[in-house]
Amino acid sequence: MEQKPKASQSLAAGRKELKEVIETCDAIERRKFNPFFLDVKLGVETLREYFPLWEAFQDNCLDVHALNRLSEVVRLQNTQLRFQSSALYAEPEFVAKKFQRMSEKHLAEVFLQSWHPIAEMEQLTNEALSAGLDYWNLLLPIQERWKRRDYSRGKNPESADSNTLMELGIHGEGFEARLVGLWKELMELHGAQNGPIDYWKFAKAANHQETVQRAYFISFLVTYGFAKMQLEGEQITLLPIERPTGKPAENGVSVPIAIPSEV
Amino acid sequence: MPGAKEWELKEKVGRNYEQVLDQLNTMLAELDLEIKKVTEPRSGQMAADEDGQRMDEPRYYVTLKGSLGLKEAKMIGWRIDNLAALSGAIAYLVAKQGKAPREDLEKVVAQKYGRWKATTLVDIFLRSGYLEEDDAGVMSLGWRTKSEVNLPALMTKMTEGRI
Repeated sequence: MEQKPKASQSLAAGRKELKEVIETCDAIERRKFNPFFLDVKLGVETLREYFPLWEAFQDNCLDVHALNRLSEVVRLQNTQLRFQSSALYAEPEFVAKKFQRMSEKHLAEVFLQSWHPIAEMEQLTNEALSAGLDYWNLLLPIQERWKRRDYSRGKNPESADSNTLMELGIHGEGFEARLVGLWKELMELHGAQNGPIDYWKFAKAANHQETVQRAYFISFLVTYGFAKMQLEGEQITLLPIERPTGKPAENGVSVPIAIPSEV
Repeated sequence: MPGAKEWELKEKVGRNYEQVLDQLNTMLAELDLEIKKVTEPRSGQMAADEDGQRMDEPRYYVTLKGSLGLKEAKMIGWRIDNLAALSGAIAYLVAKQGKAPREDLEKVVAQKYGRWKATTLVDIFLRSGYLEEDDAGVMSLGWRTKSEVNLPALMTKMTEGRI
């Protein structure tokens, strides 16, 4: 039996109500709510109330979809009633509380008493034997395999003396001069910007090798009290210290910074 | 997935496969093993249809007839706390008719084991096939639970269990 739509009813209000019905039904299907949370009779009455308004194809589709969702809720209500009458029924809150309060040992025993694991049999078949035989027959002798590995090993590590380190500029007077130079550069930049300096802007150089070297020196600037490093989320900033202590800071924290090859 | 389907048995063993299975069952009983026939409802609901019209084709497994003790479970690689958490997770899902949002299940497990461990445990149960998760994040009982766990016995022991 069709009801005449009220004057106050509009298409927009009808669509909104139907969408709400569909959303509630979907939430019930996803087990967000108990199936009896929704008054199916009221839902059907809502559909019936707005049905005379629908003319467009989309609105009729919406109506059919809502009816379909309501029928799914009815099916879930039926399943719940059957489930409640079965031996498996227990209140979820009760089960959750039992789980909290029971000891681990007792819970494990409860499970083990009702657990009948599947038996597994491992067996060698003719095919598996044949595949194994082929593998060993095709495998090169161990000496051949070691030879291959030697080629790919690359140059062995060597020890470096202080001359080498000084040549690289990471030891000796050159090192200190570079450190002070970088500190002055940071001070100038800070004076110009009047605020903290972005780590990557400061560390970035013309090529990757130079960037790594600058990052290396920056780490000493921070460690020996020439600059302060600030971490805010993913952003790293540097703040120069006007009067450097030249001593490692107490309670310092290591901050690993990966330098991507493209920087 | 392990086990043999009905049509596979018909093809390999013959039409009288049920008689063969009966005989095999008698032999397996001496080893404390038995053949188990598992049928899953197509809808994935807990309550199976009595008329059997919506049932999938059954699978046959060989399972342990008796049960294991704590020491034996440890010997086959299970930790006691993992077994305890699995027991709670399965019982909670059964109480929720076999389905619950992942966040709800993790919340229940987290109250006993903490948030981080709860996530790890649920992942372990998913990987081992005891639980399943769909695209919408809804957890349900996995094929292994349906094949290996006597759910009515678990629920009875769980509700009767001393605290």
